[in-house]
This record gives sequence, structure tokens and C-alpha cells, in this order.
Amino acid sequence: MSQRQLALILIAPGLLLVAALFLYPLGFSLVSAFTRPDGSLTLEWFAKAFELYSGDIVFTVIIVLASCLLTALAAIAIAGTLTLGENRWVVGTLKALYRWPLFIPFIVAAQCMRTFLAKNGLMNNTFVSLGLMDPLSATSFLDWRGIIATFVWKQTPFVALLLAGALASIDRATLEAGRNLGASRLRVLVELALPQVMPTLLVALVLSFVTMLSVLSVPMMVSGSQPTMLTVDMAFRINAYGDYATANALGVITYLISAGAAILYLKRGMSKEAAP
Amino acid sequence: MRILTVACSIAALMVATPLSAQTLNVATAGDQNMVDYVKDYLGPMFEKSHPGVKVVSVGTGAGDSGSQKIFEKLDAQKSAAASDFDVVVIHQKAAGTMVKEGLLAKYTDKVDTAKLVSSETAKNSLGADVSGFVIPMFQSQTALAYNADMLKSPPATYAELKDWAKKNPKQFGYNGIKGGMSGVAFVAGWVYAFGGDADKLIKGPYDPAVKATWDGALADLKDFNKSVVITPGNAGTLDMLNRGEIAIGPVWVDMFYSWQADGKLPPNMKLKLASPGMPGQPMYYAVPEKTAHRKLAEEFIALATSPQVQADGIVKKFNWYPGIDAKNLEGKLDQAAWNKLFTDITPTDLSKNAKAFPIAPYFNDILEGYEKKVAN
Repeated sequence: MSQRQLALILIAPGLLLVAALFLYPLGFSLVSAFTRPDGSLTLEWFAKAFELYSGDIVFTVIIVLASCLLTALAAIAIAGTLTLGENRWVVGTLKALYRWPLFIPFIVAAQCMRTFLAKNGLMNNTFVSLGLMDPLSATSFLDWRGIIATFVWKQTPFVALLLAGALASIDRATLEAGRNLGASRLRVLVELALPQVMPTLLVALVLSFVTMLSVLSVPMMVSGSQPTMLTVDMAFRINAYGDYATANALGVITYLISAGAAILYLKRGMSKEAAP
Repeated sequence: MRILTVACSIAALMVATPLSAQTLNVATAGDQNMVDYVKDYLGPMFEKSHPGVKVVSVGTGAGDSGSQKIFEKLDAQKSAAASDFDVVVIHQKAAGTMVKEGLLAKYTDKVDTAKLVSSETAKNSLGADVSGFVIPMFQSQTALAYNADMLKSPPATYAELKDWAKKNPKQFGYNGIKGGMSGVAFVAGWVYAFGGDADKLIKGPYDPAVKATWDGALADLKDFNKSVVITPGNAGTLDMLNRGEIAIGPVWVDMFYSWQADGKLPPNMKLKLASPGMPGQPMYYAVPEKTAHRKLAEEFIALATSPQVQADGIVKKFNWYPGIDAKNLEGKLDQAAWNKLFTDITPTDLSKNAKAFPIAPYFNDILEGYEKKVAN
């Protein structure tokens, strides 16, 4: 058996899995999104998707982008402290704590946030009992803010983990040179360390973006349904009307949104491989 | 003489053997509590009165999709000698389809308790004629739950509620239409109240032009939504009522009582069935056409719909409204259980303001109208 045949056999199981679990459903949903029951081509499902859910499409993109931005800021703060922090106690505690949300499923996180962020929930009640807040001015965060809070809480450790690893592997001499020349730690982080790990940060954010786009439980459980994210609309289309065509049209729209992120990811990977 | 005895015993054995091997398969579409109700409560009771019979309870999942699975199974066994299920517990939408497809047996004339049911839902299931094919297992109902401390005299009608919500912003909460059926029921009730002829929506016939007449009602609902809270789900509404974040909101009555019994809702919560009416829905007992145990299945349903079982099991244990007419339960229930179920919402309120959901095509029109004109 030639080397080439052997290689084909080796990748066959993986290839089959991708074909059966990704390519087949993808093709199927594409066909269903673009055809009428009699098989003729149509865009009417997309027209319906835009007519009913244009607000939700915008809402989804904004929520996911905002969550990515906040996740990036939080992850930079955590990874920066871990790399450049000088107080051993702070660094040790942070190191022990920050990974925890990684091990908590989205649905559990959503359930916790439901009672934590409510108007008379744990967070506001704590503020009130500490005298920091007047009970009458308490507001509920169980809307778009709740979704963003849950996403950021859940995704920050993932991004921070990758970022801290990258930061730990850069040449410390450059950072120390900066410190010796009198730059503050914040300046060292922003101007010296971050530019060197930008590719890692971007990749981590792209993966988070796609993950958040696909979560059903969080928007379903944390916020009311108006407006809501596309995953909830897809589930509703199927459960209430048995309408797979429009649900698939919404799926295609989600593919396109995540394709934007995937292009960024692939571009990054190619330019890296092309680099000497 | 001895030979006679032996012959008799053998004859008795021969008669008894098939009996002892009998298994009655009961398939239930619904939440786990409904499956448990058959397994732990009805099944053992039936086995006691029918020695040698074994009741097997199968759950097919909650919601309409559970009924869909029963439909698919019976449909696949259409040409088989006998179906796997002997008794099925199904939702309204599926009942109509299954009768139309000839998968169910007409059995209620052989069950005496069928005479104790007078409700419209026993004959008409979302527009499909099902009389003779089903007996309601229970009736569940939506109503407005409110905090009696915050709200001395709750709005009694949708019109009053509309004004009240405007004057008390963010004090009314419901879960929209994508977060569970209590919100869907509220919206259907809104269309009944402000959209014109509610009777036509419930009884049909379907006319696609009717949905255009709801534009005003839906525009009002969009405006109404600005001063209310959209809660996350059926349980979300109850949670917010419990924490005092909203004063009033639509809930399922059985969920409300179960939560209250578990201490998850304060005792000062009460219910009000707003007029002109809010929807509820029954679950049906039905017998598949191809069952091998028609007679046993009928006896099982007769037991399940007998006043005593309806009183102890359906009302007292699970806080559902009885499937048979409530007046037949008088004397079978202790006063406390009776009071609990009927104090806030009296049997008179129920007969006046408990409505069915609209027939299927109007139902879909209402949901899509809401998505188009209210949510987006």
C-alpha cells in the first residue's frame, strides 16, 4: 500500500464524521432554505425571515459583538495581571479562580444569572443590604444586559487562558526593558506585550464569537423574548409552526454571520503559515 | 369426581392464563408528572381491580412533539395486526389529526363516565370533530396570578388590565409568545377580547381574511408591551411574582398551585380569570383503533375518569381541573381541596371565562401576526 493510500485511510474516519455531521446537514438546510415544498427555487423564506426577524438579526450581531469586546477587555485585564502582576497574593488568587466558569455549562450559568441579576435578586439585594443602593432604584438586568453579562462571564476564562499562555511565552526581556526605562505596567501591557500576542487574542475571540452565536439556553432563560437571539427564533419556528424552511433560512443567515468571523480566522492562519 | 375437578382446574387455568399474561400499554405525551401519575397511581389501582393485568406506562415527551411521536408510531403500525399502545394520552392538535387518519377507536359510548363530560372540548379539538373518540383526562387553565397585598382589586377584564398597566408601568409581566404557553394564552385572550368574534376563532370555519381585522388589537398590544415586563418563560413569570418584581401576570393554574404548595410562592398570591376569557387546554384519553385489548382499555379509562379518581388524583394530587364536569366531584373531595381549587376561580367563572385555544390555522395566524406586528 502506498504512502498516499495509507494517508487517505488515516483521515477517512475524520472526513466521514465531518461529512455526516456537518456537510450533510449543511447541504440539507441550504436546500430547504432555498426551495419550496415542490422543489422549485425561492427566496420567500428569506423574505419571511427578514420581515419577522430583522430586528432580532441586528440584536444578535450587536449582542455577540458587544460580548466579544467586553470579553477581550476582561481577558486582557486578567491575563495581564497574571503575567505582569507583582503582588503574589493577588496573582495566586486570580490564578486559582479565573478558570472556574470554563467548567460550568451555559445552561447552568443562565440559571444562576436568572436569580443573581433579577430586580430583587442576589446582586441587588446585596447592594441594598450593604447600603449601597436604595431598594426602589433597583432594576432588573434580565434583558440584553443579562445575556451579555452571562456570555462575558462564561467566555472570559477561555480567552484569558489562551492569552495568558501566549503572554507567558513571549520574551520577557522586552517587557523588562520597558519597565527599566520607566514605563508603567499598563503601558508595558498595552504597547509591548499585547501587540506580540494579537493573533492569539483574535483567534480566541473568533472562537468565542461563533460559540456565543450558537447558544440557545442563555437568551431563552435569561431574557424575555423581545427582541431575542436567532437561536430562539429558529427553535420557535420549528416548535410552534413546524416550519423548517424559515428556520433554515435563519440558519443560513447565522452561517453568513459566522462566516465573517471564520474569514478573519482563516486569513490569520494563512498569513501566519506564509510568514517565514 | 376427581376427573371433573381436574378438568375444571385445567379449564380455569386455560381461561386464566391469557388474562395473567395481559399487559396494558399506556402511552402518555406530557411532562414526567403525567407519566408518574399513570405509573404510580392509576396503574397500581387498575392492577388491583383487574388481577393478572399489568399496566405499563410509557412517556413520549412533553408538549405537542410528544403527541406527534404517538401519532407516528400508530401511523407506522397502521397495517400491523395490533398496535403497541392500548391507551394513549394526547394533546388537542394531535387528537384531531389522529381521528382524521382513522387511528383512534370510537369508544366513549361504551364508557359510562363519558356521560359526566359536557365540555365543548370533548367534542371539538381545535376545530376537529372528535366526539366519541376522546374523554378529557384533565383540563388545565391559564389565569392572571396577582399579589393580593400589592393589588387589592385586580383588573377583572382585559380592558381594565390595559388601562391598569398604563397607570402602573412595569407591574404586569408575561412571557411573550416564545417563552411558553402561558404567554401564548394571554395573547390569544387579547385577540379574543379586542380582535372581534372570539367564537369564530374557537369554532371555525377558517377564513384567511379574518387576520386582517386584528391589526388594531395587535397595534394596541404593541403599545401595551411598552409598559409591561417581558419575563423569561412560564416559570420566569412565577419567579418574578414570587420576588415581588411584578404584581400580576398570566400563569398556568396547576403550576401556580404546585408552586404554592412547595412554598415557592407566598400565600398572599391569588388568581383571577379575566373576562372575556383566557384559554386552557385538556389532555385526552383515547384508544387506538388497532389495540388488542379494547375492553381492558375502556375499563382503564372508565376508572381514570370516575369521579373518585378524578377527585383524588387529578384535583387533589396534581392540582389540575377535572376532565369530567366539576359538579360530579362534589362530595368526593374534602372541603379543603375543593376550596383550594375553586376559591379564586369559581366553577361559574370557569364555565363563563375558560375558553379553548383558537382552531389551528387561526392559532398560527395569531402567533405570526404577533411576530410581525408586535415583536418586530
